[in-house]
Amino acid sequence: MEKEILEHGFSFNRRRFLSSMSLGLGSVALGSLLMPDLLKGGNRDEEGLTPGIPHFAPKAKRVIYMFQNGAPSQQELFDYKPKLREMFGQEIPPSVRGMQRLTGMTANQASFPLVGSFVDFKQYGDSQAWVSNLMPYTARIVNDLCFVKSMYTEAINHDPALTFLQTGSQQGNRPSMGSWLSYGLGNENKNLPNFTVLLSRGVGNGQGVYSKLWSNGFLDSVHQGVQFSKGEDPVLYLRDPDGMNRQERRDMLDNLAQLNDLSYQEFGDPEIAAKIKQYEMAYRMQTAVPEVMDLSRESDDIVKLYGPECLVPGTYAANCLLARKLSENGVRFVQLYHQGWDQHGNLPFEITKQAMDVDQASAALVTDLKQRGLLDETLVIWGGEFGRTSYTQGKLTADNYGRDHHPRCFTIWMAGGGIKPGMVYGETDELGYNIVKDPVHVHDFQATILHQLGLDHEKLVFRHLGRRYRLTDVSGKVIRDIIS
Amino acid sequence: MHSKFRTFAGQLLIASQIFILFLLLFENKLVIPAWLQTIGRMHPLILHFPIVILLLAMLLEFFSFRPEYAKNPFYRNFLHNLLLAGSLLAAVTVIMGLFLSKEEGYEGEILTYHKWTGVGIFFFASFIYFIRNSSWYKAPVAKAGSLLTVAALVVTGHYGAALTHGMNFIWEPIESTKEAAAVSPDEAIVFTHIVQPILEQKCTSCHNPDKMKGQLSLTDAQSLLKGGKSGKLLVPGNPEISLLLQRIHLPNDEKKHMPPIGKPQLTPQETAILNLWIKDQAKIDKKLASYPENDSLRFLAAAYLRPAGQMEAYDFEPADEDEITALNSDYRTIVPVAKNSPALAVNIYNRATYTSRQLNDLESIRKQVISLNLNKLPVKDADLEIIGKFENLQRLNLNFTEISAGGLKALTGLKNLSSLAISGTKIKYGELSALLPAFKNLKTVSVWNTPLSEPEIAQLQKANGNLAIIGGFKDDGKNMLRLNPPQMKNSSPVFAGTMALQLKHPINGVEIRYTMDGSEPDSVKSPLVSDKMLLTKSENIKAKAFKNGWYGSETVQFDVYKSSLQPDSVQLLAPLNRVHQATGAKTFFDRKLGVIGANNPAWANNWAAVKDNDMILVSEFKKPALISSVGIHYMIEEDTGIFPPETVEVWGGKDAESMKLLSKFQTAMPAKGDKPSLKTMEGKFKPQTVSCLKIVAKPLNKIPEWHKNKGGKALLLVDEMFLN
Repeated sequence: MEKEILEHGFSFNRRRFLSSMSLGLGSVALGSLLMPDLLKGGNRDEEGLTPGIPHFAPKAKRVIYMFQNGAPSQQELFDYKPKLREMFGQEIPPSVRGMQRLTGMTANQASFPLVGSFVDFKQYGDSQAWVSNLMPYTARIVNDLCFVKSMYTEAINHDPALTFLQTGSQQGNRPSMGSWLSYGLGNENKNLPNFTVLLSRGVGNGQGVYSKLWSNGFLDSVHQGVQFSKGEDPVLYLRDPDGMNRQERRDMLDNLAQLNDLSYQEFGDPEIAAKIKQYEMAYRMQTAVPEVMDLSRESDDIVKLYGPECLVPGTYAANCLLARKLSENGVRFVQLYHQGWDQHGNLPFEITKQAMDVDQASAALVTDLKQRGLLDETLVIWGGEFGRTSYTQGKLTADNYGRDHHPRCFTIWMAGGGIKPGMVYGETDELGYNIVKDPVHVHDFQATILHQLGLDHEKLVFRHLGRRYRLTDVSGKVIRDIIS
Repeated sequence: MHSKFRTFAGQLLIASQIFILFLLLFENKLVIPAWLQTIGRMHPLILHFPIVILLLAMLLEFFSFRPEYAKNPFYRNFLHNLLLAGSLLAAVTVIMGLFLSKEEGYEGEILTYHKWTGVGIFFFASFIYFIRNSSWYKAPVAKAGSLLTVAALVVTGHYGAALTHGMNFIWEPIESTKEAAAVSPDEAIVFTHIVQPILEQKCTSCHNPDKMKGQLSLTDAQSLLKGGKSGKLLVPGNPEISLLLQRIHLPNDEKKHMPPIGKPQLTPQETAILNLWIKDQAKIDKKLASYPENDSLRFLAAAYLRPAGQMEAYDFEPADEDEITALNSDYRTIVPVAKNSPALAVNIYNRATYTSRQLNDLESIRKQVISLNLNKLPVKDADLEIIGKFENLQRLNLNFTEISAGGLKALTGLKNLSSLAISGTKIKYGELSALLPAFKNLKTVSVWNTPLSEPEIAQLQKANGNLAIIGGFKDDGKNMLRLNPPQMKNSSPVFAGTMALQLKHPINGVEIRYTMDGSEPDSVKSPLVSDKMLLTKSENIKAKAFKNGWYGSETVQFDVYKSSLQPDSVQLLAPLNRVHQATGAKTFFDRKLGVIGANNPAWANNWAAVKDNDMILVSEFKKPALISSVGIHYMIEEDTGIFPPETVEVWGGKDAESMKLLSKFQTAMPAKGDKPSLKTMEGKFKPQTVSCLKIVAKPLNKIPEWHKNKGGKALLLVDEMFLN
């Protein structure tokens, strides 16, 4: 009996084998139609992307983002609201404020009196854009600028709003915009980092900036923003130690490379090869960085253009000049932060100082890029993380007031990089509180930036912790109306 | 045919029916992997077989009940097999077709018709195959069935052909051709080339002379202007009340919304174009080029003519990828301008390593290079000869290179060159004005920082209307700027013996003048700063920067302090305020001064403070020191309750036990509203030799009546002390 059972087991003939196998194969094949990843090994989901190459021919090759940290008041700079002056001291109508969430700083305020700009505005350029008298240099280049007056965001405090604008998420730990671009576009100049950060601060009430804003998040660490500081060592740990000359450094690197190469031969780990390359890049940066950072050979015209402060390291003007030099040398993303725009109180005094800090140099950067024939391939952005309220924070006097955070609308401007010049996009209501036309969400803004650089924001993805991540998270649409 | 095979094939037919049903059911969830796409793409190849076989089978089926054929076993057998083969091939074709339909670019009405008639053929043919042996299957049924199948084959084939060749493929050659050939934005007429195509795409399938829904046709200008059942469509100049846009703007689920739900909708850009066109009086003949350069309609229309993101078409082959990789080096990056684009962008960096070889090496990819950046490299005229062979070059950056007009001549053959940057070169007006007309396609040329003067640039611009000549900023002296103040570069303002004062200014050629008597420095009379100036005592220096073409800087003050004695050890006998620890007892002789500003994060770094107890500092000198004065550097910030010390006592002696009071001194208290400031108070006394020195600074015990914290204790902030 046992023998029969055993033989029965063996009598699995060719026909039975084939028919049962075809059933199995068939169901696997069917399944694979519904779950495309079933038969694929590993993550091949970034199909739309070849890191380092744009999806389509880009308008812009590089970005310079002059971030006005602390949120400059649109009412005193670009969003002209004469009605606010008329209604000086009157309570903001509840219909306008609606169910607006307020910050802890004004939530307990008993009254919300409106206040108009202390400074006058004039119209400039072909677009007849309104620019306040605080920004005389910016006013002169209006024909090169595209003002977006209808930006809005989701966060009401600095840290989340900044993080949101830079990384597409309020929580942090995601890659910054510059890191995404570095990942998507690759290096133009292999001797400089792809994403650099420059900091400065004005006299106004300041808010901190911190390295999480230029973090590479889950992207490879080569995409991290490199902060250039103002001191003798703009890039830390780049200088040879005292007593070591360039030849010794060269010899040391050569020997090190040989050793690394040996272990690469043995283990085949690509990280080892990457390490060798990074050492070599640092070696080349030793000459490339001082060359870029050298301000001493800038002509007098350039000094006059940017203003005398441009030769004082660490100032906003100097950072603008450096930004141009870095960008000109192929750095994809130069991020400036200028602190001091958080005018909760004493606004007229502080914003005047802040505007003086940035006006001439910001305009100069646009002019300078233009006169080198670089503006059409460099996207320049100027703006903060949110706007400020139409009502005063704290005590309202005839000549002094403050403004609280306002996420519902704020103004930024862009120039170059295939953005329509001489244009004003979007509109707020006559109290400058709500958007009435063409709202632009932060994700829309980010999608537009990526689009100008030849990247489809829906395809620039990275798989991490089991899902695909994008700069624009799950939303965002390109604002085609401002693209030329 | 062997009956075994026939049974097997019959089962296969049933299996494929089930499979096709599955595909249709889950159509929306299907994702076709690449290898299946290949199979899908064989659809146009295979489809001809079932068509022919089924046509033949249906012909035979039509006559199969004729007696002479009905009795012929070969006829019957052959027909049965033929039908089976045809149905099976139809199944294969349908499956492939369904795969193919999931690829991009297949959608819309025609596809739907083609798909369902095709699926219909398959099910119908296999249905006939299975029922044709039933008893009720008689000649009329067979004839009707075969006719129907043939009709379906023709219809499916027609729609299939329409999918691949376009709807009007057959009649096109004999119809009048009014097709809009690709038109450049310069020649486009807004109505003909932009508005009409939008209507054709989205509206005319229902509103045409053949199918006038709502008695409206939108195929030409006349009928558009005429309107339909509900009246006129357009109110020129007034898009808001134009029926055309009203219907488009209605919510999607509204019955009157156009195009109806389920049909392709207008994109926001298209709606905007229609809106702007009507706003501008809905003119039929107006050219796009007649709108100003930055007009919204012009922008949108230009984008419509060449949709954003669409790849520029190049008529050259891509370069070999290995070749590109090999040519990339540390100082030369070569990358495709976009994915799948044959065009390359080349950047070369680093003055020191540049040679002509960097360009010569590019010979093998010269056709593909469309953008070349040689900014600030020592490029010579001879190098331009090489660049002259890059026939598809569009952008060339020669800023701050060593080229001249003679070299630029070699570039005039570049037909596609549209942007040329020669800022910072030595090119002259006469040379450039002679050269520019030879560049046919050039759109922008930047000539900033060349010997060209502003009138010359204006002249060039006038002579070359289509070309944007970018001059840039040149200081004409009309907008005088104020210089920034001089900076002190000494590592510390506190010194022991003497100090060479280092006053510097970042701008070249600036004169710094100073005074030390408290008067304002003057651009003529006050002495110039020199490196050799030696300070021997504490001073208050006022300085100002001057340069031709600039306003003088604001006056800036530098206080320098002499502190000739440095104690060997210091000790605090009473605790410091918790948040103002600085570096403890060492704070007072570290030669680092603090700054004003309560919001400055660096604020607390150099400030040591007390509030609830006295500041008691004991210093010891290993070698007895001759001392005659003690200075204390402190902060006043009345608003935040930071006041000067009430009194300072200086005690000294040979050791801690034998100290006696050497001096006790006070200073004036600030008045209400005084600006924050840094001050020094000094107590002088008869020179004494001491080994041990005790300084007691008492914070203000009662803040004056006028202050908001009246009666409270004041904070005392000290950053440095000076012993002489």
